[in-house]
Amino acid sequence: MFKQAALRALCCLLMVSFVSPVTAETVFRYPESSKPSSLMPFFVENMSGVRISEFIFESLVTKNKRGDIEGVLAQNWSASPDGQSITFTLKPNIQWHDGRPFSAQDVVFTVLAAQDQGTIFARKAKFRFIRAVQAMGNLQVRFTLAKPFKNPESQFTFKIIPKHAFASTSISRLDRFSKYPVGTGPYKVEKNDLRLIRLVRNPSYWGRAGVDAIEMTHMPDSSAQIQMLSYTGKSAGMQNVIFIPPKSLQRFENSDSVTLEPYHTVSWWYFAFNHKNPALADLSVRKALALALNREELLEAHLGQGDLLSGPFTESSPYYNFDVELREQDVEAATELLDQAGYKMKGGVRAKGSTKLEFDLVINKDLPNCQPLALSVQADLKKIGIKINQKFVDNSLYQERVMKKREFDLTMNIWSFEELEDIFPLFRTGQPQNYISYSNPEVDAKLDASRRERDHKAYKEIMKELHGMLNDDLPYVFLWSLDIYSGLSRQVKNIFIQPYHYYTFFKDWTMP
Amino acid sequence: MSGRLDGGAGKALSLWVLKRALRSFALLVGASFLIYATLRTAPGNMVDLILGINGTEASRAALRAEFGLDQGIVMGYLEWGMRALTGDLGRSVTFSPGDEVASVAAGAFLITLALSLASLLASVLLALALALALGKPQPKQDLLLTPLSFLNATPSFVFAVALTHAINAFIYMQLQGGGRIGPAWYPIPTYQAISDSLAPFSFAMISIALGDGLFMDLFNALRAELRAVGGAQYMNAVRAKGAPTRPHMVKNMVVPTLSIFTARLPLVLSAVVVVEYIFTLDGSGYLLLEAARVRDVPLVVGVSLFFITAVIVMNLLLDLVKAAVDPREVARVE
Repeated sequence: MFKQAALRALCCLLMVSFVSPVTAETVFRYPESSKPSSLMPFFVENMSGVRISEFIFESLVTKNKRGDIEGVLAQNWSASPDGQSITFTLKPNIQWHDGRPFSAQDVVFTVLAAQDQGTIFARKAKFRFIRAVQAMGNLQVRFTLAKPFKNPESQFTFKIIPKHAFASTSISRLDRFSKYPVGTGPYKVEKNDLRLIRLVRNPSYWGRAGVDAIEMTHMPDSSAQIQMLSYTGKSAGMQNVIFIPPKSLQRFENSDSVTLEPYHTVSWWYFAFNHKNPALADLSVRKALALALNREELLEAHLGQGDLLSGPFTESSPYYNFDVELREQDVEAATELLDQAGYKMKGGVRAKGSTKLEFDLVINKDLPNCQPLALSVQADLKKIGIKINQKFVDNSLYQERVMKKREFDLTMNIWSFEELEDIFPLFRTGQPQNYISYSNPEVDAKLDASRRERDHKAYKEIMKELHGMLNDDLPYVFLWSLDIYSGLSRQVKNIFIQPYHYYTFFKDWTMP
Repeated sequence: MSGRLDGGAGKALSLWVLKRALRSFALLVGASFLIYATLRTAPGNMVDLILGINGTEASRAALRAEFGLDQGIVMGYLEWGMRALTGDLGRSVTFSPGDEVASVAAGAFLITLALSLASLLASVLLALALALALGKPQPKQDLLLTPLSFLNATPSFVFAVALTHAINAFIYMQLQGGGRIGPAWYPIPTYQAISDSLAPFSFAMISIALGDGLFMDLFNALRAELRAVGGAQYMNAVRAKGAPTRPHMVKNMVVPTLSIFTARLPLVLSAVVVVEYIFTLDGSGYLLLEAARVRDVPLVVGVSLFFITAVIVMNLLLDLVKAAVDPREVARVE
């Protein structure tokens, strides 16, 4: 009797201490696998930084939900007929988070700071298209461009930072602004701890924002993220998990509390060859490798659904050439190619003279499902007598070893693009992003022609031709683009996900 | 045995303490140099991580200079060491850019140390209570001790995961019916600063105290010590005089208990690293792993320094307590 009463009392106590009335504040919580590298737009080097910047900063223009350019800080603009200069008129009465007025001087400062040699960041080249910038009063700013653009306004999607927050245009990434930035966006930083960044509604925002506060938690473990989403509620758990791994999709398919939102990133997977390796410089070997891979099985077994690709564009891209046929697995044809090229089996591995078909496959550990994928690739290539040594490295080592020192034979990776695919830096001889040391004069000539072309139709045709050329010459084996799903609480309404920046339209989201 | 020291013995003790402190400092310098050198020579670095494929040689060189990576290892360490002596451990570069390492690392380390000490203390007290309650070993005690050993052999992280699911499910059931919300830390692992809620900290403490075989290990060690102390000759003399034995038992159990406590601290610190992750505590374990992932040299060295200092200081304190309880310890160690 006493025991029962004591147990009941304990339960009541736990309920009282654990459970409390619902509060009025709407808080949108989401986890990120990695911390933003910085909250200062220039120093944002990872996707978590790109996403959180959308809440805090704004640009002169952005693409709206239909894909058309729309003013954000800019009210209107006029470009010169030759496409080499453009003048923006700014919206009046916009304030920074600290209450100071936003003006043309801030826009000028942003460009000057980005171009200052003392401000060192990875995407500095994105500002090279501006030759000069000049404020014309408080609400007008004129840009002179380094080359003509058909729609120059579409280049001005970079975030604007406040002049008054810095002593000079030379900005260090260790500046306090990186942690507690000041923007004009709908949310401002209230707290920035090791694990948690809390943003609250900017009361002086010129537009409207539907949610009171946002909390981003650094949660490296994806299974913990999924667990948090499964307990989602208005005041508990997470309201959004950016990427639901394929194996967890089923868990939410018929959920009452979570909805799965598909979104299409402009990104594709590839299997790259180091063209400095004499064996891989041989097109027959590259073709044999491409024919040996069962891409359909690799995709379905390890990553879920997506589109197999025949070139460096996603199927939704205007540049994708549907006339180029997908290369399907054909082990016999691959074996024949290697035989014809003179590679004979010796102790389970093919070789020609002293050149053995044994390669190091170096993979970034951050690549989703990389270990089972690499195992399957190894098994596919073993069938044609190619030996693979798997090397899994962390991101830092991958950057150094593969991207900088180019010490690899094979690698798998993903290219993601902000908008449409720009393949020039990937395949043009000598470009920094051409880390595979690929060089083909015909491809170079086409890429150069694409750079000169200002007519969109003609540019599209060049890209389609390049699609075919690259499928034939195989700088990479083009693999697939994935169908990506986000998990969102059903309590979040008016959701529209921007495929790259993700939270661009968050101010329209509500949690009624 | 006496806790009082005459003048000569006092001087000897001071000298002994000074020697031990100097030895500890040398150990600290050696260990910190080793960590610094290892990080500087390890493949992958923060400049490549920041600039990636887009960096020019000039920009790489400028960043290396800004972060103090343009100097050789010895010179770099000396410069860091000189600043460290004044309490300046530099600034985080890639993990928490611009933050003072000393303040970030100290804040995180306090959580880790508090969690380690609290878990260890809870385990010691439970083990001591059980050892005193059970007294001499008897066969029927196996009915209790065998299942306890099995339970206690569970790794602390498994314990932590099971606890997480159990608590989440319990609160979820309480909330059915609507109109109310759970505690701020629900569902686990919702992040909560220690200043806002001690709940995740307490769950982590329970997981460590009852997992990894720690509790039974302490129980066995303490029971053996209790038996050794109880059977000592001087205890027979105490009993013969008819004096109470408990004060003597307690006094003579201090050193063995502290030794057992200190010896297990490094083990507990390593368990804490994993459990901190499960309960989203922002302690040193989390900080160390994440800072190493992004090659944040100043932060990794700073956090490691706190770890090493803790172990060295604990050992030093143990020696001091031993010496205070039994001055013959000074001569024995020397």
